[in-house]
Amino acid sequence: MGKVIKKSTKKTSTQLSVRLGTLELANPVITASGTFGYGLEFKAYMNIDNLGAIITKGLSLKPRKGNPGPRIVETPSGMINAIGLANIGVEAFINEKLPLLKKTKTKIIANIFGETVREYSELAKRLSDVEGVSALEINISCPNVKKGGMSFGTDPKEAARVVRAVRKATRLHVMTKLSPNVSDIKQMVRSVESAGTDSVSLINTIPAMAINAETKRPVLGNVMGGLSGPAIKPVALRMVYEAASVATVPLVGIGGITTAVDAIEFILAGASAVQIGTASFITPSASESVVSGLKEYVKKNGDIKKLIGALKV
Amino acid sequence: MNSTVIYNKSIATDVHFLLRLKWSEKKIPTPGQFVMVSVSDASTSLDPLLRRPFSVFDAGKGWIELLYRVVGRGTSLMSTLKKGDKVDVLGPLGKKFPTPKEKNKLIMVAGGIGIAPFYLLSKTLKNSKKDAVLFFGARTKVDARLSAPIKKLGIKVKVSTEDGSLGRAGYVTDAVLDFIEKDSVIYACGPMGMLKATAKLAKDAGVLCYVSLESSMACGIGVCLGCALKASEDVKKTKDKEYVLVCSEGPVFNSKDIEWEKL
Ligand SMILES: Cc1cc2nc3c(=O)[nH]c(=O)nc-3n(C[C@H](O)[C@H](O)[C@H](O)COP(=O)(O)OP(=O)(O)OC[C@H]3O[C@@H](n4cnc5c(N)ncnc54)[C@H](O)[C@@H]3O)c2cc1C
Ligand SMILES: Cc1cc2nc3c(=O)[nH]c(=O)nc-3n(C[C@H](O)[C@H](O)[C@H](O)COP(=O)(O)O)c2cc1C
Ligand code: FES
Repeated sequence: MGKVIKKSTKKTSTQLSVRLGTLELANPVITASGTFGYGLEFKAYMNIDNLGAIITKGLSLKPRKGNPGPRIVETPSGMINAIGLANIGVEAFINEKLPLLKKTKTKIIANIFGETVREYSELAKRLSDVEGVSALEINISCPNVKKGGMSFGTDPKEAARVVRAVRKATRLHVMTKLSPNVSDIKQMVRSVESAGTDSVSLINTIPAMAINAETKRPVLGNVMGGLSGPAIKPVALRMVYEAASVATVPLVGIGGITTAVDAIEFILAGASAVQIGTASFITPSASESVVSGLKEYVKKNGDIKKLIGALKV
Repeated sequence: MNSTVIYNKSIATDVHFLLRLKWSEKKIPTPGQFVMVSVSDASTSLDPLLRRPFSVFDAGKGWIELLYRVVGRGTSLMSTLKKGDKVDVLGPLGKKFPTPKEKNKLIMVAGGIGIAPFYLLSKTLKNSKKDAVLFFGARTKVDARLSAPIKKLGIKVKVSTEDGSLGRAGYVTDAVLDFIEKDSVIYACGPMGMLKATAKLAKDAGVLCYVSLESSMACGIGVCLGCALKASEDVKKTKDKEYVLVCSEGPVFNSKDIEWEKL
């Protein structure tokens, strides 16, 4: 009996594994940047070894303090955040978090952002020197920074400049994270692909705002922020679907995923893997539940890889 | 954790409720800590999406109690919970009130629903500390009834009402002023304006003051960075920090650590 069970779990695990080009993941479930801290915080609530990969909070060369509050507001089935990319900085990440984090067998992906192309490339170099980081996710799309961020993410040429610089600076897998705030996502995908990205993740949060009619003021300290959560799932699905029509590199779907069924929808639309964001705030172990749900799915239906882009239109 | 409702009943007014839940977590909440409550069943409804934070009002063997005021959609939904219903609760979270020192005279200052964390604090005070006083600021004499449970514990309660319908008329902080001695320590929870005034009062009198603060929260566990409030110049200099996180570094703070002018 024991043998049979072992065999079937082995089968399940190969049926759940996915490849993003050079990056092999035990399963397609990745935690999204900024929603999973530096990973360690979640050890009290789940087994982080069960994930496909963990993406860190966005890292910059120097620590950043972030925006004045209020930084978040709830909206129908979603939330808007204007955290302002607060983070401990790449050195503190390498010295304080990574030594503990790299003990997990889950792949670690460092999310990076800068205000200049040079900053991106320096971050890429620095993180390539250390052991424990398997890939870099380039955030060219965060809508919260007044300088830099936005222009890289909305202009295909600027985006390509960043990707090219990072590509040159590292031998790690490079994932480029796209902003939904563009009129033609396909052009964006082509542009970052030709600049050498190994995979593309999408979408980042959607620029949004909330107003308090009583006080006649914006709710967020920063006035505008980024919308995330189930509210953005239909937009994200559409963009992954469009991106898949032109992409030659693997796609990673992000936006409002809370269950395994949501994840499967993204995979059908063309994603090879998915990221879980806001859902981790509501249930810290949400990402682990998505893995369990997908495990059940492949037991019944077979290899997850067969689902990628299998949407019947 | 999925908890079962033991009861959910209105107390004092028709907008205040006491919710008692079964508690099987190993960690027993301490005074000042809070929990995050899923007000909708996440498996069937994605709206309201985020959990709501509530101070622990009371806790015993196998149960916890929350005292809440209905202010919006989430708390309205909570008010419909019935015995036997399931609610998902995350906690206990945050830092507790420091245990008051033997030499200090404890002054508690509460405004409105800010009274919630003081019941458990009062209950766990050592006998020698039962000379503690609670100053309670309420809108009306009906709201002032919320202080009855604490009074029952033998704590002296001094009520102020904004409309003068009971006790002293006016803001609770005015009442506290005459009462501060040099060995007093103040613990406060309530609306921001009241906390700000209390912090100033404590600063002017040169006494220690702890405040329990509120902020919009998404995660409650220190990862979204959404609940940040401006830290004081002092904290900025000594700890190189511009913000403090209410959920994980608080909700209880030394009032000196907060930049009150920026709130
Ligand atoms: C650490 C902490 C402990 C708390 N303890 C308690 C408690 O013991 N008992 C209790 O009744 N409440 C407590 N609160 C406040 C409680 O979390 C809010 O009242 C609740 O989240 C409102 O949810 P809602 O969906 O009903 O209101 P919403 O529909 O979200 O909002 C309705 C109205 O209430 C306002 N509001 C929402 N949240 C807050 C807030 N945190 N502070 C001030 N105004 C707010 C909104 O601006 C809006 O005007 C606590 C908050 C924190 C951060
Ligand atoms: C509070 C918060 C902080 C975030 N921080 C980052 C970040 O630092 N870098 C980044 O690339 N994306 C960041 N994101 C975007 C998420 O990674 C994700 O793309 C987005 O939230 C959509 O997914 P979701 O709907 O599952 O949350 C953040 C999102 C939230 C809600
Ligand atoms: S509520 Fe998320 S960090 Fe405090």
